Amino acid sequence: MIKILYILKKEFLLIIRDIHAVTVLFIMPAVFIMIMSLAMRDLFELHGAVSIDVLAVNQDAGKKSEAFLKAMDALRTFRFHLIEKEAAADKVKEQMLARDYKFALIIKENFSAFVEKNGKGKEGKPLELLVNPAVNVQTQLVLKSALDGKLAKLTWDAFIDRMGSLLPLAGIDREKLTATEESPVEVNYVYKEGQYSKIPSAVQQSVPAWLVFSMFFIVIPISNTFISEREQGTLMRLKSMNVSKFYLIMGKMAPYLLINAIQVVIMIAMGVYIVPFLGGTALTLGDSMGGLILIAASVSFSAISMALLIASAARTTEQATTVGGVLNIIFGALGGIMVPKFVMPEFMQNLADMSPMSWGLEGFLDIFLRNGNVSDVLPKSLYLFIFGVVMLTLTAILLRRRREV
Amino acid sequence: MIEIKHLYKSYDKPVLKDVNLSVRRGSILGLLGPNGAGKTTLISILTGVIRKESGCITVGGRDLDRELKAIQLKCSYVPQTLAFYRLLTAFENLEYFGALWGLKGKKLKERMEFCIDIGSMQPFAKKRVDQFSGGMKRRLNLAIGLLNAPEILYLDEPTVGVDTQSRNYILETIRKINRERKTTIIYTSHYMDEIEQVSDEIAIIDEGKIILHDDKQAILTRDDAVLINVEKIGEAVVKGLQQIVGVRIEKNGVHVKRDERFNENMAGVFALFHAHGVLVKDAVFGRRTLEKLFLKLTDIRLRDEG
Repeated sequence: MIKILYILKKEFLLIIRDIHAVTVLFIMPAVFIMIMSLAMRDLFELHGAVSIDVLAVNQDAGKKSEAFLKAMDALRTFRFHLIEKEAAADKVKEQMLARDYKFALIIKENFSAFVEKNGKGKEGKPLELLVNPAVNVQTQLVLKSALDGKLAKLTWDAFIDRMGSLLPLAGIDREKLTATEESPVEVNYVYKEGQYSKIPSAVQQSVPAWLVFSMFFIVIPISNTFISEREQGTLMRLKSMNVSKFYLIMGKMAPYLLINAIQVVIMIAMGVYIVPFLGGTALTLGDSMGGLILIAASVSFSAISMALLIASAARTTEQATTVGGVLNIIFGALGGIMVPKFVMPEFMQNLADMSPMSWGLEGFLDIFLRNGNVSDVLPKSLYLFIFGVVMLTLTAILLRRRREV
Repeated sequence: MIEIKHLYKSYDKPVLKDVNLSVRRGSILGLLGPNGAGKTTLISILTGVIRKESGCITVGGRDLDRELKAIQLKCSYVPQTLAFYRLLTAFENLEYFGALWGLKGKKLKERMEFCIDIGSMQPFAKKRVDQFSGGMKRRLNLAIGLLNAPEILYLDEPTVGVDTQSRNYILETIRKINRERKTTIIYTSHYMDEIEQVSDEIAIIDEGKIILHDDKQAILTRDDAVLINVEKIGEAVVKGLQQIVGVRIEKNGVHVKRDERFNENMAGVFALFHAHGVLVKDAVFGRRTLEKLFLKLTDIRLRDEG
């Protein structure tokens, strides 16, 4: 036991004093989590939060435009920045370009009149939408559809108001004619597994994604120490000292399991405390501590096992860090770390299932997002464990062949 | 102390072929050999790092195969490479390796203090090793090997790349350990003068076989002779010299072998010269150097080609 403590101490000191390892294991994921959680906030929260900024000028002479803007704001998809009423179209265009707006909306003077006359009149169209040509058609359609919809509702409501006194006489219930605010379409996100689920927020996606990614980057310090030990004869010295294979393997496993655990705590703390402090939403952890520990330990075991295989196969630390880095980036890109899995087409989601990072990420999302428990993460943990055992077996075969153990 | 009989080991081709060697308890064996001769393989087998294919090795009367663990506890291996952690301090390195030897508490502290002392590392024991000079690193490498107070110490080129002062210090330390603790030491080096300086016995290994093994003095005095440079000598003198066993005539002069009849032979040779009026120009005590012997035995050609 005392040997393991000294092995742990040695590995910790080596990592703490290795600036590259500290950067890759702790600083890189922390920075990624902060940047991605904040940068992707609006994209991930499109369904619930303001995301598209629109410059607006309200030249309406009446009151209907205010109700219209209020209804648009309620969608929480657009944020309208009103400028002075007197601004002419040229000035609006000028400001739009100067302030880098993608859209500008001019609510014309005749807006209220248009609504009240049920869309009839000679005054022309009540809304003018100025669009930056760089904006994609889909985004333009989102805004245009919203404007059309709200204007149509406003016009219909105005019509019903005008007909209000006649409706009871005709035996019509006014309430039934009023257009509801609520969409008749229910939206549910369907994952490949067929599980109805929530879409993650930016922080819910970023924390587990970059955490899993950084846990796999344990390959850098493991390769550095393992290959150095081999090249500098330390491994030979340890073998001549009759240090058992158990200590040699535990000497690599135990310290890095602990280092991965520290990564988990720090990155979760980033999501819970630092990201909200910087203006993002806070990470919610779910209710299953057991599930969280299980999935974290499984990711750690598979990451360390893969790192040991790479370190054993590589001749130099440069080789190991290059191969390890490239493999991690491929696994990350494939496994939904860099591009969230829910935006991938189906065939890419199928491919993503081949990445151990995807198993880890889905496990964390089960806990953070879907209120999963131990039984929910068990299948992913099992995949990760089997992956780790395969990696360790290959490592043992390789070392035996090279007469290094 | 160490008995090796008919040791055989091969990788793709045989590396050790029928190695036979015996090392006395408390002696220092200097093991010499060209690159690829099998020195490191031999030491790796003796330290239990790799396994032999056939042959028999006993260490202190114990069979290496059957009692490897017990033997390893009494041995220590100092590799040619600097086998420690550069990002740790000397103190932390000693503490780590000491703990792996199973030392703890007061015993660990005592052994660390001894090693720091013997390596003269007091002023920099708490400095990171990557700030050390080459000599300091070599001393630490040796000190780590002394943590378990070994009965047998295997040293693989322990002075590579160090300055003269550190080299002398290391050699003195090795002698001191041997003298004070009666530690048996197997020492490999490419520096012949080092082997001459520290060894009691010398073994030369080449192409997987021990081709020479004897006491240092016996090896170094073998073929010792006095070379006498003279003026031209006549036929009568040549005939007279040829009658004396241990005297031979070569182009560069007359060689008188330094054996048990040396004094008698020298008197005979000078009497002959005096009788025929031969003028002696000079006389040189020619001692065969280890390097010359090594080159002669192992062939002068380069061995790097494998």
